[in-house]
Amino acid sequence: MKRFKTLFTAFVISFSIMSFAQKEKTGEPIKENTEKKGYQVGDLATDFQLKNIDGKMVSLKDFTDAKGFIVVFTCNHCPYAKSYEERITELDKIYKQYGYPVIAINPNDPKVQPQDGFKGMVTRAKDKGFTFPYLVDEGQKIYPQYGATKTPHVFVLQKEADKNVVKYIGAIDNNYENASEATEHYVKAAVDALIKGEPIKTTKTVAIGCTIKVKK
Amino acid sequence: MKNFLGILFLIMGLSFYQAQLQEDVPMMKYEELEERIQKENDKLLVVNFWSTTCAPCVKELPDFMIINEKFKNNPNFKMILVSLDRPKDKEKVIQFIKKRNLTAEVVLLDDIKRMNTWIPKFDKNWEGNIPVTIFYKNGEKVHFNDGEMSKEELENTINKNL
Repeated sequence: MKRFKTLFTAFVISFSIMSFAQKEKTGEPIKENTEKKGYQVGDLATDFQLKNIDGKMVSLKDFTDAKGFIVVFTCNHCPYAKSYEERITELDKIYKQYGYPVIAINPNDPKVQPQDGFKGMVTRAKDKGFTFPYLVDEGQKIYPQYGATKTPHVFVLQKEADKNVVKYIGAIDNNYENASEATEHYVKAAVDALIKGEPIKTTKTVAIGCTIKVKK
Repeated sequence: MKNFLGILFLIMGLSFYQAQLQEDVPMMKYEELEERIQKENDKLLVVNFWSTTCAPCVKELPDFMIINEKFKNNPNFKMILVSLDRPKDKEKVIQFIKKRNLTAEVVLLDDIKRMNTWIPKFDKNWEGNIPVTIFYKNGEKVHFNDGEMSKEELENTINKNL
């Protein structure tokens, strides 16, 4: 097996060199990995104007006193998102006073997932006592720019010279099932670091979530 | 006549055996799942990550079962469905196997605290959205399918790699 692995590695290396040389010869540009779309940590995040559950339009620029934002792509129906609702409210309650409010955005197409329609959002927010804006990504234009792939999916932003810089992408913590058993609190740690002006230890995490429902 | 009866019983027994579904779901950590995958390192292995709570996953499973029925007698083919349901919902998964007649092997990955460890190990481009389907040929990953898969896509990917 070891010998096979070595052989295989050698084969892969020589093949990559060959294909690299080939591309050089034909002058073809070497393809970048285009599969990854959306923001990476350090990118500038776009502002938006999206409808809130109270019918008013909300933009990041409206929050003149904010130092940054905890942007959470979430929805009504997804069990992973639902299990984080209280924690999202808690994040807003803690960090709004430090200038980092939660902005929740529902990216799902209600035609694909009827529970994620506007009425459902209003009811959900009321039932769960959301203290933050819960916006509709109408036309599904914002979530692809951010590169959100699932709910919940968090982007922590920091205002720098009136631009919003992406500082953290990923999960809220490492236990969707039980908040009290989480041992890593990624979003809290990231925002705490921003408040203290320290570097963020973990800037990117992944976790299981519900795929964003795209209009067909 | 005796022979005939014998054969009849044999056929009945066989069909009963065929129709028998998994009655328990083994729960495992990431390392055990990796070992389970590596055990099939002489086959084309289709690994589908799903959950009973995930609508698009549940939607694509009937097509996966049609394809599994088509290929399951091929000794070079194997399908494993990795449930990401909570351990306390194991009974729900067992009921789901019965109700939806899931003929492929089902295991439950009980490792939610280390998602940030094992998700990137399966594929560096996987953000954790489900469903995803990974194809292994002789123990090496040959294809990562991000999202739902149609019956045709699934069958084509199998035929291409079998």
